[in-house]
Amino acid sequence: MQLSELRGSPQHADRAFRWLATGAAGVVLVVLALIAITMTDRARPVLERMGLGFFTETTWSVPTGTFGALGFIYGTLYTAVIAIALAVPVSFGVALFVTQAAPRWLRRPLVYTIDLLAVVPSVVFGLWGLLVMGPALGLHGSYATAGIILAIMITPIITSLSREVIETTPTTDKEAALALGATRWEMISAAVWPHSRAGLVGAVMLGLGRAMGETIAATLVIGNTVHVTANPLAPGYSMPTVIANEFGEAEPLHKSALIALAVTLFLITIAVNLVASWIVQRQARRSAGR
Amino acid sequence: MKRLATIRLGLAMAALLAPAGCKKKEGGATLNGSGATFQKAAQEIAIDAFARADAGKGITVNYAGGGSGKGRKEFADGVVDFACTDAPYKAEEAATVKGGEFFYIPNVLGAITVSYRLDGVDKLQLSAATIAKIFQRAIKKWDDPAIAADNPGVTLPGVDIVVARRSDGSGTTENFTRFLKLAAPDAWTLGSGSTVAWPGDTQAGNGNNGVAQVVKSTNGAIGYVDLSDAAENKLRYAAVKNQSGKFVAPDAASVTAAGDGIAVDDKLLFSALDAKGDAAYPITAQSWCMLYAKQADPAKGKAVKAYFKYLLTDGQALLPQINFAPIPKALQEKALAQLEKVQVP
Amino acid sequence: MTAPVLDLRARPSWRSVKDRLMTGLMIAAVAIVLVPLAAVLSSLIARGGGIVLAAFPDFFTEEIPRFSRRAGPGMGPAVVGTLLVTAAATAMAVPLGVLGAVYLHEYGGRGRLARLVRFMATVMTGVPSIVMGLFVYLLWTIRFGFSAFGGALALACLMLPVVIGASEQMLRLVPGHLREASYALGATKSRTILTVVLPAALPGIVSGCLLAVARAAGETAPLLFAVGAAKAFNWSVLHDANTALSMQIFGNAMDVPAAQDRAWGAALTLVLLTFLLTLTARLVTGRFARRR
Repeated sequence: MQLSELRGSPQHADRAFRWLATGAAGVVLVVLALIAITMTDRARPVLERMGLGFFTETTWSVPTGTFGALGFIYGTLYTAVIAIALAVPVSFGVALFVTQAAPRWLRRPLVYTIDLLAVVPSVVFGLWGLLVMGPALGLHGSYATAGIILAIMITPIITSLSREVIETTPTTDKEAALALGATRWEMISAAVWPHSRAGLVGAVMLGLGRAMGETIAATLVIGNTVHVTANPLAPGYSMPTVIANEFGEAEPLHKSALIALAVTLFLITIAVNLVASWIVQRQARRSAGR
Repeated sequence: MKRLATIRLGLAMAALLAPAGCKKKEGGATLNGSGATFQKAAQEIAIDAFARADAGKGITVNYAGGGSGKGRKEFADGVVDFACTDAPYKAEEAATVKGGEFFYIPNVLGAITVSYRLDGVDKLQLSAATIAKIFQRAIKKWDDPAIAADNPGVTLPGVDIVVARRSDGSGTTENFTRFLKLAAPDAWTLGSGSTVAWPGDTQAGNGNNGVAQVVKSTNGAIGYVDLSDAAENKLRYAAVKNQSGKFVAPDAASVTAAGDGIAVDDKLLFSALDAKGDAAYPITAQSWCMLYAKQADPAKGKAVKAYFKYLLTDGQALLPQINFAPIPKALQEKALAQLEKVQVP
Repeated sequence: MTAPVLDLRARPSWRSVKDRLMTGLMIAAVAIVLVPLAAVLSSLIARGGGIVLAAFPDFFTEEIPRFSRRAGPGMGPAVVGTLLVTAAATAMAVPLGVLGAVYLHEYGGRGRLARLVRFMATVMTGVPSIVMGLFVYLLWTIRFGFSAFGGALALACLMLPVVIGASEQMLRLVPGHLREASYALGATKSRTILTVVLPAALPGIVSGCLLAVARAAGETAPLLFAVGAAKAFNWSVLHDANTALSMQIFGNAMDVPAAQDRAWGAALTLVLLTFLLTLTARLVTGRFARRR
């Protein structure tokens, strides 16, 4: 930047730039407001018709115009629970290995490789789950199949966040445990775990939020049948998958019901993500303060 | 200096996007259609051949499939130029069609097979009542006495039956369930429609191919799939008992036999289900394509008439290759006459 | 914070067995994670490699067969569609996102508007992609029909909060003394940002954007109700239905075997594309780190 260029910089160009930047930031608010307004407006017809029954009934019958979302809400939660149950132990194990047990030269390549799992698009996981994994494990569309695919997809996120949380463990605590003669595992449970507990919960919840919102991979392997059952091998359905399957051909009331489902899903995932962010940030602030 | 660079960058991007912006095709027209997956293969093979024929010069046809329900919906909304459906509009639905009067043009006859995968069993016969009970989950195992009664001399394994059906609104479902209502009124209780209240422990697939996929990958699975897709996916299918009491396997001959002599109304609506005749395959379904009687756009109007004419003439000869049957001659003439009535501005 | 509890009373041999057991479990976890990755990649190469490499560029230059039972290539229109939709989405999301981050970090600070925008951006990252797809359908597709642009709008909405977050982080890393030196020379704030701060943060921002683009390229749900299903090449962003690799994979997954083959080829192409973008992002970050 030359001194000669500074002469004659008009003040209104500076202010214009500020307004431009402010406007750009404001776009976020505008888009979210539009989403909220248009979608709740379109969701109203079915809620007026079904009332609270929308959330408590399982019958979803297009010909009679009865729309009960309970089956889908159940399915969303159930597949997410299966996914978390499978992903969390593995993610924690990997995160602990990478931060505490792996030789230094292995750390970066290992992290890079695991992050590749996050890059694979969800539709590719769905294709693979449908045509390769399902038949190989003897599974067809079911809660279990969807849960396994979701678990694979959320593992990199939980691993990466857990890694960050674990790495904030103060070295003094770890060294103190080791100095007293603790094995590595004892050091982990005595020094790392109590410190990271809260942050790890946050990481798990972010993974949960992601699992609930995942649509495409689940659609191909979930079985597409409303089924409130504890049997994981039964075919099931969930909020995002029914929307993906039925929206294209839906009539207005049906569309309204699907949009109401979308709003419900939106609110649930937002709530989970916000709680998770709050937990993770509180953890970060705590460790920064030490 | 940065500002100048930014301006230059902006102009370059605008130049890049501009040709990608507005480019209307010269001459010719693009036709968009959607609807029944039952006849998707028939549409596609015709579209493919039409593109290479003289009649199809400059015309691009896209058929998106998506199910009869979707096709009827999009046609009613005016989102597509034509749509294909296995079942006509119900009275209340018909009232919602924008764009005025429209014609049903029948273009294919096809079999709905009862496809299955049961390792060790190559030939299977089923009566309508047994089929009804299987799909309602009243019969849950392959060695059930009802199935054995239909198949004397065949050893049936004690495998669980996995029922596959459609998850989307489907004309194939409508015709299949209507057949069961006609042929097994005492056994079948789920009624008929583009979707019915299937029992919870059934597998659902998207489109005819989705159901075929489930049947193909699961031992013990049974599902209803149109013959064309079943053959393409190399599935086995059962011979079904018709009104004359004969077990008939679905193929071009038995489908054509079912189409012989059926009564057609002046809207060209009819049903080939549960047809009479010894050689007729009882679950023969028909499918129509719909277009507006008064076309709004001259280029599209000409194009859609040309395409439909092709479907009804040269297109018919392509059908046996993909295991469909052409419509009977008399019906073909009536359909062409109906097509002539379409007005293009 | 609870005091660490270290209990060393167990028998030494049991303690070391337990330690080794736990380490073994950790290694098993790593193996478990790597298995699906290896399995997916090998399936992609085995099932997709054939159709992509046979008669080489045909897979990318041929139209999608109108008769889906016809075996063989291609997926050219899907490749074009993915490129158009992703490029258009990037063109919208990146400038808006970077400028938004500029506001947040350079002007807004801890002010009320800035905190609200940051909070809403976090909320926005959690919007399920199908919800974005429905939103764009209601706002755009109903009025203007299918087009690549509709899909780009949905993707841009998904990318925006990610770009804002990553860019703000990068801006935060730019040392204050660079700004102060610029002000000392008499430059206005906007000039400082444009000529000093952004160039300094550029590699990090580029890397963050590339990652956002990689994610957008792989998305399917937002495009389902906005882009349509074309089989011929469509180079127009604003007009007529288009298609994309992700949509083709989804649509063909349950189709005839010939179509499923093409789905695998498309999947291989898509994964290569996203891997390429990710690797580039990492290279850029690497050079950035080295420069500092």
